[in-house]
Amino acid sequence: MDTNTTIDYQVERKRYYKVLVGLLLLTAVTFVQPYIFHAGTFTAQMFIAVIKAWLIVMYYMHLKGEKLIGTMALFSLSLVFVFFVIVIGVDVANFQFGAESHITAAAEHTAGAAHAATPAHH
Amino acid sequence: MSKSYFDETHCAIGHPKSTFMQWMLTVDHKRIGLMYAAVMFFFFFIAVSTAFLMRLELFAPGQQFIDGDTFNQAFTLHGVIMIFLFIVPGIPAIFGNIVMPLMIGAKDVSFPRLNWFTFWLYILGCIVAVSSLWVGDGFADTGWTFYAPYSLTTGTNVIFTLVAAFILGMASILTGLNFLVTIHRLRAPGMTFFKMPLFVWGIYATAWIQLLATPVVGITLILAIMEKYFGIGIFDPSKGGDPVLFEHLFWIYSHPAVYLMILPAFGIMSEIIPTFSRREIFGYRTIALSSASIAGIGYLVWGHHLYTSGMADIAKTIFSFLTFFVAIPTGIKFYDWIATMYKGKIVLSPPMLWALGTIVTFAIGGLTGVTIAMIGVDIHLQDTYYSVAHFHYAMLGGVVFLLFAGMHYWFPLVTGKMYNEGRAKIAFWVLFVGFNILWFPMFIAGYLGMPRRYFDYLPEFTIYHQWSFFGAVIFISGLVFMFYVLIQGWRKGEPSGTNPWHATTLEWHMPTSPPPLENHSKVPYVDFEPYEYHHGEPVVKFDYETMRRID
Amino acid sequence: MSHEYVPEIATDREGNEYEVQGWQDDFYGGKLGFWLFMFTEVMMFGAMFLTLAYYNTLHPQDFIEASASLNRLLGGTNTVILLISALTMGLGLLKMRAGDIKGAKLMIWATIILALLFLGIKAVEWTAEYNHGVFLGLDAMQPGNEHSMPFGKILFFGMYFTMTGLHGFHIIIGIGLMLWLMKRINSEKVTPDHHILYWNIALYWDIVHLIWVFVFPYYYMIGGGDIVGGIAHGH
Repeated sequence: MDTNTTIDYQVERKRYYKVLVGLLLLTAVTFVQPYIFHAGTFTAQMFIAVIKAWLIVMYYMHLKGEKLIGTMALFSLSLVFVFFVIVIGVDVANFQFGAESHITAAAEHTAGAAHAATPAHH
Repeated sequence: MSKSYFDETHCAIGHPKSTFMQWMLTVDHKRIGLMYAAVMFFFFFIAVSTAFLMRLELFAPGQQFIDGDTFNQAFTLHGVIMIFLFIVPGIPAIFGNIVMPLMIGAKDVSFPRLNWFTFWLYILGCIVAVSSLWVGDGFADTGWTFYAPYSLTTGTNVIFTLVAAFILGMASILTGLNFLVTIHRLRAPGMTFFKMPLFVWGIYATAWIQLLATPVVGITLILAIMEKYFGIGIFDPSKGGDPVLFEHLFWIYSHPAVYLMILPAFGIMSEIIPTFSRREIFGYRTIALSSASIAGIGYLVWGHHLYTSGMADIAKTIFSFLTFFVAIPTGIKFYDWIATMYKGKIVLSPPMLWALGTIVTFAIGGLTGVTIAMIGVDIHLQDTYYSVAHFHYAMLGGVVFLLFAGMHYWFPLVTGKMYNEGRAKIAFWVLFVGFNILWFPMFIAGYLGMPRRYFDYLPEFTIYHQWSFFGAVIFISGLVFMFYVLIQGWRKGEPSGTNPWHATTLEWHMPTSPPPLENHSKVPYVDFEPYEYHHGEPVVKFDYETMRRID
Repeated sequence: MSHEYVPEIATDREGNEYEVQGWQDDFYGGKLGFWLFMFTEVMMFGAMFLTLAYYNTLHPQDFIEASASLNRLLGGTNTVILLISALTMGLGLLKMRAGDIKGAKLMIWATIILALLFLGIKAVEWTAEYNHGVFLGLDAMQPGNEHSMPFGKILFFGMYFTMTGLHGFHIIIGIGLMLWLMKRINSEKVTPDHHILYWNIALYWDIVHLIWVFVFPYYYMIGGGDIVGGIAHGH
């Protein structure tokens, strides 16, 4: 595989601008979303971000049509996703020591480190 | 007299005339691998000496000649050097560089100048790490794991080690990147992935871990620096920070790191076993895919280092299951190696002795790992000498033993000479016996409750420490003797010829011994499997001028 | 030297010839190598987002309030600026590939100017936050004094300054790379036929943009709209 020597300048240029318009529109949606849909802001925002990212990766970064690199990208992203699922979804979401831990909301309201001795964690 | 890679070289900058500058600026993968070896073994011996000092202190209860704080610095120094400066660069830096391109018929790696730059980045990391010994309060005393919050509050030079580990991590990432592109792009025509030697598979799987896991520890180190100097709060409980998060981030790298250590080592095993059994390896495809699965599943088991730290119970359970699961591909490899030896013509040369010794020691290391994968058992054995014995059996008795095996195997390729095989075998036995006397008692001591990283202990543990010390003396003598045998072999050994072991893989089909600068005289077309033997002899034969098959 | 490379030929037993891929003149290899480097950036920033999500889970309300206090106008303007700069960068590469070297250089300058604008606005934001007493080392971000923010907000801003700081650092490196690219174009080391460096720098700029595509909503927008209630967790 060598340098792309034959390129259709006009087609490529139009594609860049089309993607730009798409990205600008999505950015606008990002702004108005909290006012139109009050609930689910986090999910909606991340969803829009993922679509923007997909457009950028496919067209600006020319990943469309790249089989090998595309597979590698998918593998890396899956790995990050799994880290999130395990650390956030499985561990922190099931935080067992919320009542006694100094760092969680319950302890915040019991002004400062007024615990006599830190309970043995297990 | 034909020239070898010792006589001429390519340089990153200009065309220096002096031999010294030619070594400093060389982009030749073979020379770079050798330089890594020289520096790494220098630091290895410093870390071994530190360990010996600790064993000396621990010979009897009470303080002998080091106080508690200095002892903490000693085991931190030992860990940081052994892990970040020696075993993580490890086999990829030495044999990945020297041998892997030869095995795939390439003239160098994909980015030779990047390779040169990476070596000097590694040197910079080493200097930063070690310089902290002479600055301020001395070397860090946190253990190589730098757990928050202690690493944030201690006055010793944690920052140096954090920065050094970051730089060394960058070097590891760049090496992995270089090897990945090399293996994808520069294989000889005809060499599909499933015609690559298994060492290359090992390096390939390792490179993926180097590339994707190391950045996580890189950013963890930066976040720790941000916490220590800018108080961002993420690891500081007084601001709501959670030290368990530090442990998660740290071990997300550091567990895959141990697979990064063992996968190239298993690759070496997969090269030595068929050569010295004089037959094709059993289960080539399974071994290749098991390397890939160990790399993949290995990303998912880090939580078994956090069983006692306060993770959610459901998380502990999932990690325990995944940890058992990751042992399976390793088990498959062991069975395949043993099946290869069955009905083979075993040749007990030094490389084979090392490989067989490792099958014993790594089996113990791996199996003891499985015992502490059980949460209930780990509650008692976490942070005892049992863990210490487990990971030394796995890392020293697995990775380093196989590194030694690789050194004895590829010695004639790299130097063009042969060492005294009889003496090399004696060195092996001294090391093997010393190793087991040094480490096995620690399983028992740990089981009975001896904690790790303690500079003093109850009198009931004395006997185990004394046995370990005795083993350490034997082991270190063995190390010195082994290096003596190899160095004498290089200085005064007989010329070995290009293929003294009558092996099949491409690195043994060089036109000269040692190899020339440009490797194979011509890149061969690969229409053969990597381990084709017929009645104990290699099938594929080459004319070394044209690299055409003549069998 | 690299322009004179002639690839080797390997011959099989039937006499068929195969061109050997050498490490020199390997466009795809250069591209692959840079993509691999970008995966490391994804892992790095991914781990930082993980840290952010970790504390978001422990302190959801604090995070929403802290997010609402950020300047969405400035942040949003920066989003658009970076977006357009990604276009100019891509167009520059396209022009180079099509042979329009002058046009390519103009586009690089445009990208540099937009990048500097981004940094300027970021500086304005940080200064405003500093003036409000919210900055690394100031009282609001220390525990136990009268200005101390609650845990969730300290952690939010700790990561905010770290991540936007690191992102800004990557922009500065990007500007440096673009200036170096200009030099290489002027000395004809980068040409329409040998533009792997330009390709990779464009990829670099795209990933810098890509990181901001996630930084902006996670920091600036999660506190948007209705602050009290109505914000669901997307786990």
